Amino acid sequence: MTPEVAPARATVLQPRPWFASTKFLLLVFGLLAVYAYGWRVTKIDLPELLKGTKFVRPFVVDLVRPDVVSRDVQIQEVQLGMSVNAAVAPEDVAPPASGPQLSVPTRVTAVGAQLQVTGRGFRPNGSGTLFWVNPIGNPQQVGTFHTDATGAFAVTITVPEVFRGPESGPRGAQQRLLARVTWETGPLRPSKTLLLVGEKIIETVFLALMGTTIAIVAAIPLSFLGAKNLTAKNPLGTTIYFFTRTFFNVTRSIEPLILAIVFTVWVGLGPFAGVLALALHSVAVLGKLYSEQIESIDPGPIEAIAATGASPLQVVRYAVVPQIVPPFIAFTIYRWDTNVRMSTVIGFVGGGGVGFILQQYINLLQYRQAATAVWAITLVVAALDYLSAVVRERVV
Amino acid sequence: MKGASLKVEHLSKIYPDGTVALRDVSFEVAPGQFVVIIGLSGSGKSTLMRCINRLIEPTSGKVYIDDIDITALSVAEMRRLRRSIGMIFQQFNLVKRSSVLTNVLSGRLGYLPPWWSLINHFPRDEVDRAMANLRRVGIPEKARTRADQLSGGQQQRVGIARALMQEPRLILADEPVASLDPATSHSVLRYLEELNKKDGITVLCALHFLSLARRYGSRILALKAGQLVYQGVPADIDERRFKEIYGEDAVEVEIT
Ligand SMILES: Nc1ncnc2c1ncn2[C@@H]1O[C@H](COP(=O)(O)OP(=O)(O)OP(=O)(O)O)[C@@H](O)[C@H]1O
Ligand SMILES: [Mg+2]
Repeated sequence: MTPEVAPARATVLQPRPWFASTKFLLLVFGLLAVYAYGWRVTKIDLPELLKGTKFVRPFVVDLVRPDVVSRDVQIQEVQLGMSVNAAVAPEDVAPPASGPQLSVPTRVTAVGAQLQVTGRGFRPNGSGTLFWVNPIGNPQQVGTFHTDATGAFAVTITVPEVFRGPESGPRGAQQRLLARVTWETGPLRPSKTLLLVGEKIIETVFLALMGTTIAIVAAIPLSFLGAKNLTAKNPLGTTIYFFTRTFFNVTRSIEPLILAIVFTVWVGLGPFAGVLALALHSVAVLGKLYSEQIESIDPGPIEAIAATGASPLQVVRYAVVPQIVPPFIAFTIYRWDTNVRMSTVIGFVGGGGVGFILQQYINLLQYRQAATAVWAITLVVAALDYLSAVVRERVV
Repeated sequence: MKGASLKVEHLSKIYPDGTVALRDVSFEVAPGQFVVIIGLSGSGKSTLMRCINRLIEPTSGKVYIDDIDITALSVAEMRRLRRSIGMIFQQFNLVKRSSVLTNVLSGRLGYLPPWWSLINHFPRDEVDRAMANLRRVGIPEKARTRADQLSGGQQQRVGIARALMQEPRLILADEPVASLDPATSHSVLRYLEELNKKDGITVLCALHFLSLARRYGSRILALKAGQLVYQGVPADIDERRFKEIYGEDAVEVEIT
């Protein structure tokens, strides 16, 4: 076999290589300009990613230990009346003689003084906290302690600067020293956070359900108006078709999050605003999908059923409905699934659901609680995703 | 029950866009005949069929079925008459997502009380009738299958069973085998032939292949550009006539 030799090319017309052509260079230059501007305008700062790790670390760590279970907490508390004003006597709040006891060298002391606090009769080998409680009942932590095998402890505290009570009364008295030992008992139970998150997740799922349902009810009639093959048969119909489609397209392009903000202004914070936001957005999305489905139905069966002498209603029931209902169901389930995902963020702007408490937890730096919410969202969204895929496969 | 007679007089159809699909077509079909319509694509075969059951409104002319002028019937009367005209389509026109049984039963809708049928409730004896018709076309075991899971030949047989549910006296078959292979074409046409011979149903059938037309037709009508250019018995179509109908360059293809 002889290799084919390409005929010698005319050297006159030899074009410049592609990478040297003006078009290509212009393109490269243009792209460079676009990305350089983009880099600046979005303030991309890669070192910040490294510097910020220390802030995000507690969150990431807490993500793997969400607050899901807790035990009952038992508390032992003893109080002692104190005074920081030598002129005023402390009150007497004598603990029952049988229980744990707290003692100090003197109950009349001064702000900034060192005070040796001893206790006995507490739960053995426990750990506790000492608080200074001001006249209006606000505790301030002043120390921690561990009890020994006999339930005794000794710790030195500094008397804090505290509110001394109203100007008129005997100021400086009515202070209290509080020792509290806590420990967990009993079986593991779902934590308060878990219960709250659970409740809010259910609210989220139902928020999505209500939003989707309202959307279905509105989208079905609208979709018939937005189907070219049914509506656009005369000038009036064409106008209706055009308006319906424009409504779908415009509304669809507004993020539900923005709609939620509008509705929280309108009907107030809470899940109702979220329902309305999802409903309006979904009407547009479903309406468009439904219309396209109606436009793509096969006219063959309609003709065939009409030819048997069936009534128009029977034609719709036997030739149209079977063609559009399964895809309608599939779209709708998919939409509900999407809406559950959206309703988790709608809470961030006050539209109800789990997003609302997730945002609170994050703001209060309660990362373990936030982790619970994040995991719950992940699980529910994944489960619904799977479920909707299964149902859609069955239906279509 | 014997087949219906059909008489078409000066039938014309002009579509709204100005296309003249039929031009002054007249012919008669006696009860129990198997008439084949041939003609090039676009010659007006489908339009003619649909003017006969008024799925398309003719522009002018008259159509008589058993001496009833159907062009004068009201919409409701026409619907009642349609029950006795079965129609079979090139693309089968089954509801693909419904079961075979539902597709067959839907042929009976014209006879059923409208409200019951809307909730997909069919009387026992109608279901029995549907099963009997499925047995007749040889696929009773497919009753519960979704229609789109059947082969083309099987789908067309469901189409025939659906038409049989109407207890028709006239069957309009619009290129019933154009999307089937030769062997399957014969099996489907043999079912139509049997209905024609045994039950005496009048059949009007559009076909593309002259060989099939010769084999099954007792009479042949030829359309060309919306005009009836030939009618006669199959044996009379010779080379010259063939070229008249299909154009000078046509070559006859045998299908066996
Ligand atoms: N709805 C319609 N509007 C306008 N013109 C149409 C319409 N339906 C058919 N026609 C035209 O009418 C003529 C006859 O069409 P028809 O479908 O009856 O032909 P046919 O013989 O059945 O062709 P084929 O073998 O391709 O099915 C064609 O020129 C076609 O383009
Ligand atoms: Mg046709």
